[in-house]
Amino acid sequence: MSAPPPAPVREPAWSLSRSAIGLWVTQAVLGTIVYAVIVATAIVLVPTDAGWWVPLLRWGGPAFVVVYGIVTIGVRPRLRYRVHRWEVTAEAVYTLTGWLTRTWTLVPISRIQTVDVNRGVFQQLFGLATVAVLTASSQGTVRVPHLEVDVARRVADDLARRAELVRDEAT
Amino acid sequence: MTGLESLGRRTSPWVLVLHTVTFRQARALVPAVLALGVTRGLGDGLGTVIALVAGITLLSLLGAAISWWRFSYTDGDAAVVVTRGLLTRSARTVPNDRIRGVEVEAPALHRLLGLVRVRIDAAAGSVTSEEELLIDGVTRAEGDRLRNRLLTHAASAQDLLAGRHAAAEPEEELLRFDYRWLVYAPLVGSYLAVPLAAGGALLRAAEELPEQFLPEFWSPDVSDTRIVVRLVVSALLLLILGSIIGSALVNWRFRLLRRGGALVAVRGLVTRRHTELDIDRIRGCTISEGLGMRLVGAARVSALVTGLGDATRRGQVLPLGPVELARALSTELVDHPGPLRRHPPAARRRSIARGTTPGLLVAAAGGVVLALTGWWPLLAAGAALVLLGVPLGLARYNALGHVAGPRSFALRSGWLVRSHTVLQDRAVVGWEVRQSLVQRRAGLATVLACVGAGSGGYTARDMAADEVAEFTRAASGEWAATLTPYD
Repeated sequence: MSAPPPAPVREPAWSLSRSAIGLWVTQAVLGTIVYAVIVATAIVLVPTDAGWWVPLLRWGGPAFVVVYGIVTIGVRPRLRYRVHRWEVTAEAVYTLTGWLTRTWTLVPISRIQTVDVNRGVFQQLFGLATVAVLTASSQGTVRVPHLEVDVARRVADDLARRAELVRDEAT
Repeated sequence: MTGLESLGRRTSPWVLVLHTVTFRQARALVPAVLALGVTRGLGDGLGTVIALVAGITLLSLLGAAISWWRFSYTDGDAAVVVTRGLLTRSARTVPNDRIRGVEVEAPALHRLLGLVRVRIDAAAGSVTSEEELLIDGVTRAEGDRLRNRLLTHAASAQDLLAGRHAAAEPEEELLRFDYRWLVYAPLVGSYLAVPLAAGGALLRAAEELPEQFLPEFWSPDVSDTRIVVRLVVSALLLLILGSIIGSALVNWRFRLLRRGGALVAVRGLVTRRHTELDIDRIRGCTISEGLGMRLVGAARVSALVTGLGDATRRGQVLPLGPVELARALSTELVDHPGPLRRHPPAARRRSIARGTTPGLLVAAAGGVVLALTGWWPLLAAGAALVLLGVPLGLARYNALGHVAGPRSFALRSGWLVRSHTVLQDRAVVGWEVRQSLVQRRAGLATVLACVGAGSGGYTARDMAADEVAEFTRAASGEWAATLTPYD
């Protein structure tokens, strides 16, 4: 991946808060623990003579948990942090999210209907918030995840105010 | 309907009869009661049945009476208010300028009593939310009065803005259903489903009936091939006949009119529907051709209207007709941007890869099974799926296309149902560009136009990555120049 082919569209300018990595790692650790518990329970509870697939479960289950843990804790958060970007220009809100599959979303400020600031449980631990920008389309929602709380508030207020000024039909 | 004007209008008391007869409120109880009756035995038979029927009817009447008593509506100068509910009163207010459409429908029983049902569409944030008022059971005259009043309100608010006059409104007929088009019906999936659904419902009803009421069925001798062939042929004939009848019932005397600033679609034999679409709110249209429809050159056209609930059914401006007519009608609704551009050859390779992937997976599993147990049919099935996947992938690639014109753009995709969507530039409320790892290596990207009408988003899959920025800009506006790469 030394020289990736050029992206179809340009990259938004700003990166997320570095705390986002911590948040993603925490989530991944929790997810890995949940899978480990499920696999462990299955191995303990399933009798050895239940069928030909028992060895598959005994080896495959832990292997899956280990690989999942390595990918989601070690690789995904950093890759995500490298990919995720956002920007608010004079005319539009623009984000890039994903890690393997990348998604660029662009919504013009004149078509914004509502702006929400959401804070999940883990986000609160890390002092982060997500700005969700909604439009008339059920599919045209931009989410800028994991900004610092005060940045998120300022962005949301600014967007709401500007949307009020330039709102055309908004549909 | 007099003396209560200040409190709001009421629906006609005749709805009591209607809702009692159809067990509208008590409907939920019927299966429970039936189950009770079946498990405990029907006792002395007739007496119990009569008591049950009387009881359910009374309950139903009571329910209908309560909801009629607590229901009222007001169509004021600024808003429509509907109040209802016994314990929790709910009042829903919809400002007149938010009303996007009014539909007056008259199901069969309503027509017997001279009543109609009025649906009022109000657009809110998202298309998916249930933003609709239903006034069930007003007289036909009151229904027409409501429709005219609400739509003139909605229109006059815009007319003032646009400096137009809503003068006497001439009617112009755009389209009338030709009964020869009914022959297309057996090739359309949704109409084929009508007789199937009817058959399913019949079977379910037969299963719920207690054993002793079931007629003695003639059980066919399936070992005789001639009987089987005859059964299959007659089932097919029934299916074809059923789909034609179903389509005729739904599309009976379909007409599409232009009246002032609205498109009016009227159709249906048993339930007569009258849908008005505000022309100012039409953002585009979709021509869809199913696999069977393409064989005979049939198509259907839906208008994409902002803030219209249940868009697939209500936006229909041509339920079924020849494809040339469909194209002509769609150009009348939106400017066509010109001939479609094909997607690059890399998209064809990806389409074939997608088509063959399930087959390859099955074949791989089949290979493992063959090695372990020597059972070969799974491998053979996988190979067959791979072979079928190639033409499928090619066909899906051939359906792909996009183009951006001066004021509109078009996207086409789909093999089972090929839909060609034309949208105005102003319809776009956002863009989403997606690129998977494989797409990145192949130089492709998928573009989703987010629209506040129709299904909410329209996709151009596997477009050449370097065309994306130019296309989005040409298909929406200067704001999309944000996407253009610096270099």
